[in-house]
Amino acid sequence: MRPFSYFIPASLQEALAIFQREGEGGRPIAGGTDLVVQLKEGGHKFPYPRYLVSVRRLPELRRLEWVEGEGLRLGAAVTMAEIEASPIVRERYLALAEGARVVGSRQTANMATVGGNLCNAAPSADTAPPLLVLGAKARILGPRGERLLPLEEFFLGPGRTVLEHGEVLVEVLLPPPLPRSASAYRRHTPRQCMDIAVVGVAAFLALDEAGEKIAEARIALGAVAPTPIRAHRAEALLVGRPASPEVLGEAALMAREEASPISDVRGSAQFRRYLVGVMTEAVLEEALSRARGR
Amino acid sequence: MAEVGDVRKAFRHVGKPVPRVDAPAKVTGRTIYGDDLKLPRMLHVKLVHAPVAHARIKGIDASKALAVPGVEAVITAQDLPPHRYDPDNRTRVLLARDEVLFYGQPVAAVLARDPYTSAYARDLVEVQYEELPPVLDPLEALRPDAPLARGSVQALEEGEVGGHITVEGAEARKEEGPRNVASTITFKRGDVEQGFKEAAAVVEGTWRTPMAHQSYIEPHVIVADYDSTGRLSIWSSTQAPFHVRNEVAKTLGLPETRVRVISTEVGGGFGGKIYLYEALVGALAMTLQRPVKLTMSRKEDMLAATPAPNCIVQLKMGMKADGTLSALKARVIFDTGAFPGAPLLPGCLLIGGFYKCPNLEIEGLEVFTNKVSVGALRAPGAHNVAFALESALDMLARRLELDPMEVRLKNAVEKGDPLPSGQPYPAIGLKECLEAVAKSQLWQRRHEIRAHPNRGVGLAVGGWLGGLQPASATVTLNADGTVNALVGAADITGTNTAFAQIVAEVLNLPLEMVRVTTGDTDSAPYAGMSAGSKVTFTVGRAVKLAAEDAKEQILRIASQRLEAPPEELELVDGVVRVRGREDKQLTFRELGRWSTAFGGRYPPIVGRGAVAPRLQAPSFSAQAVEVEVDPNTGQVQVLSWVVAQDVGFAINPMAVEGQMQGGSTQGLGLALFEEMAYDEQGRLLNPNLLDYRLPTTADVPPIETIIVEVPSEDGPYGARIVGEPSIVPGPAAVANAVADAIGARVFQAPLTPEKILHALGKIKD
Ligand SMILES: Cc1cc2nc3c(=O)[nH]c(=O)nc-3n(C[C@H](O)[C@H](O)[C@H](O)COP(=O)(O)OP(=O)(O)OC[C@H]3O[C@@H](n4cnc5c(N)ncnc54)[C@H](O)[C@@H]3O)c2cc1C
Repeated sequence: MRPFSYFIPASLQEALAIFQREGEGGRPIAGGTDLVVQLKEGGHKFPYPRYLVSVRRLPELRRLEWVEGEGLRLGAAVTMAEIEASPIVRERYLALAEGARVVGSRQTANMATVGGNLCNAAPSADTAPPLLVLGAKARILGPRGERLLPLEEFFLGPGRTVLEHGEVLVEVLLPPPLPRSASAYRRHTPRQCMDIAVVGVAAFLALDEAGEKIAEARIALGAVAPTPIRAHRAEALLVGRPASPEVLGEAALMAREEASPISDVRGSAQFRRYLVGVMTEAVLEEALSRARGR
Repeated sequence: MAEVGDVRKAFRHVGKPVPRVDAPAKVTGRTIYGDDLKLPRMLHVKLVHAPVAHARIKGIDASKALAVPGVEAVITAQDLPPHRYDPDNRTRVLLARDEVLFYGQPVAAVLARDPYTSAYARDLVEVQYEELPPVLDPLEALRPDAPLARGSVQALEEGEVGGHITVEGAEARKEEGPRNVASTITFKRGDVEQGFKEAAAVVEGTWRTPMAHQSYIEPHVIVADYDSTGRLSIWSSTQAPFHVRNEVAKTLGLPETRVRVISTEVGGGFGGKIYLYEALVGALAMTLQRPVKLTMSRKEDMLAATPAPNCIVQLKMGMKADGTLSALKARVIFDTGAFPGAPLLPGCLLIGGFYKCPNLEIEGLEVFTNKVSVGALRAPGAHNVAFALESALDMLARRLELDPMEVRLKNAVEKGDPLPSGQPYPAIGLKECLEAVAKSQLWQRRHEIRAHPNRGVGLAVGGWLGGLQPASATVTLNADGTVNALVGAADITGTNTAFAQIVAEVLNLPLEMVRVTTGDTDSAPYAGMSAGSKVTFTVGRAVKLAAEDAKEQILRIASQRLEAPPEELELVDGVVRVRGREDKQLTFRELGRWSTAFGGRYPPIVGRGAVAPRLQAPSFSAQAVEVEVDPNTGQVQVLSWVVAQDVGFAINPMAVEGQMQGGSTQGLGLALFEEMAYDEQGRLLNPNLLDYRLPTTADVPPIETIIVEVPSEDGPYGARIVGEPSIVPGPAAVANAVADAIGARVFQAPLTPEKILHALGKIKD
């Protein structure tokens, strides 16, 4: 660790003003569960911040509210523990609750925020695949005003996002769930908990009125590409087709092809690709049975 | 066991479960650890760890680091005070001189006013390396054309004198046989070829266990202070204070009496906290004439401490149709890293030491590679060979359609059976442990369990011979009538609680009246290192003798005062009285006063005990494990676990159960998760506890403990060694359970989902 300045603004406006005033070399900090570890480990090799601006308590980033007709507004500084405990998230966006639930330990979940998880941009971030299949949009505020982006366009590479200096992720917007729809998220880790996803898979399925054919489908994969990705071709195989095990199996095989995993200390590329297949199938089945239950 | 139970009834303290006396301070965060120490003018050191596995050091430029405000010095090998340097001994290479032999090896030390400054400046030290080919795989290392991981022992000695030419000459000489060999061992008995001819089934395989870290919760901490009188004090979280004193003195050329070692509370050791950088930190304190503290981070500790070696076992075993072993042939290869020190001897003894086998041939090789130097991990070398031996035994049983329990009972060693070295076993309880597991719920249910798809039950045994080292203790009576025991052994497993029980037992006192202290090397009576599971077994005997000696002194004085022969006196809760005569008594408090106050009439009571035990008290453990394997993801979940261990006599059953559960948990970790992973350049890929995975509470099932008590011939109250054996069977027991569940065998620990999917043929290379 090296010396740095630490600002605790009272409002988003003030936070943005600090970035303007202090100039380059600053960073937002939320729960610090990624950033502090990086500061400690990184030494001088890490682009070391001159100053940090705490966004953890900014009211604009702390919202977790359902807006009728609009959907869910999920503030960037909402913690994993709060997401997991939220009845509205559990009821309407179950995959997100499942992603938030597996992050670290109790202590981690009480500090870790969804914004930090997304902005840290790890390919394995556990809330990313759920938010991708739930159709999330990111609302960003910065020196040049506001931007609203589909989450898919937010990630650029490992540790890299579209955020520029002085920009803050304010919240994530989720559309209201479709009728007869459901979502699910699972990850593979060697340990039962306190681990990082070797592969994460989220799925969202909506059935037609008859409850037989798939009306809409979204699949997202974590830890098998430089960023969390959508498996668009696999999704295309599902839409308009009967919700049968064979069809889900076909989509799972396609998802396997869409992954571009690397080999690292957590698993080989072929192991990850294999897991994408078996896990996508299992997650699609889970989402389907949930959608049928609606 | 019935008799042992009766013996237990005769005691007031020993044999009863007692919570550790130091537990409340530990769980409430009040214990003082080494890192809590602060001395006036103290400097904080961070080591520059080499980022390459094998290289020549071409130059070190510290100017940028020295320019950082708060940095006091950057010390390289050249700047150290004169000391005994020995390139073949990891403890005598304080900082790399010309050659870096492993990734993470310390090449320089940065000292600053606070640890953050030294850590920051450390990254600014510029070291120029000329990289050399790293030798990483021990089998590759043995090939006659392999590059050398390091100069051989001899070449280096000549190299000191003659430079590179001598080294090349040595290389030429060695061109013939296997290369990079640090040491070898062979054991032979009978005729293995004949034994294989007599076998009804023969199995053969190669088993691998990776390098593993002890993962104590507290990384190494060392503080050194060289005072104006020329005395070097060292605070270290070591398991071995006297050993550290002797080694530091030898290395730095000081008389032993000039070095004082204070063992701070050990936040876990498991064999990894014997001796590391004490001499280096001492040398830095001497050079700078200021106290110096080294607190290693998790990463530094994983890079540059002494983890356990990786091991390759090539094993062939034959069994007759009736289940008796007929032949065992093993080649045991330990990767010792850059310096000698792998547990080759115990590994080779134990692979032929669990079962009777008339014909055996064991060859052991300790091989140099460019990896961190290895050390001990709870029963060093034993889990590695047990993984092979116990897997092969199950394969033979399966092949011959015999029950794995029966086969083990049939061949298990007993008192008098020889180790591969020929040395006979003293009294041991391996069979009793197997019988205890056979009666357990889990083993009784095994057919029911196996009826579930993807569930299985595995069995394995393991043991440890245990260490021997002289030990002593004193027991003194205080003025207030309480009793102190002083020992020189670091308490890592609750041994001081056991000693309090022993003293309270001998003097028939309430436990609260006894206080046990671990002294420093200047003040404490000598004890060997807290390693080899032997502290209660050896120091416990000394404590018992010291308490008995104190008792005799108490009785002598009391006999005078009460005018009754000692045989008629009894000790009850700090009172000495004539049996049957409530009126004729005196208290420990009175005795304490008379033997300490001004004008006191009696010499202070100081009981003394000293022993040099010569007979080991080996301990065995048998374990059964139930697993469920997900055939789609390859994930293994351990559902239940039973551990039986022969402890001779459990002085503190609560502590003993804790040891059995702790060892089993570590065995589970080695079976499923733990592995230090290296890339092709020899860089450690997972120097952290995120990717070096220890089991979490969610991964460990409830562990049922069964204490077996076959008394040792020599231990206090029949106790034998306890700490180490329970780690040994884990990897094999889990592998056997997985094989039972899915019908496929994994030959390489840890049994990761990926390896299980390979074994199932679901993924291929
Ligand atoms: C023990 C442990 C276990 C973990 N387990 C998991 C796990 O299972 N799954 C998982 O996905 N992650 C895990 N993590 C990583 C981490 O907890 C999560 O990524 C967490 O969500 C990060 O959130 P934070 O609020 O702590 O972010 P911080 O560390 O505060 O910030 C992370 C990054 O995001 C930036 N940032 C934060 N908020 C904003 C904002 N509003 N606008 C712009 N930039 C912002 C920061 O500048 C920084 O670069 C674990 C971490 C630890 C220490």
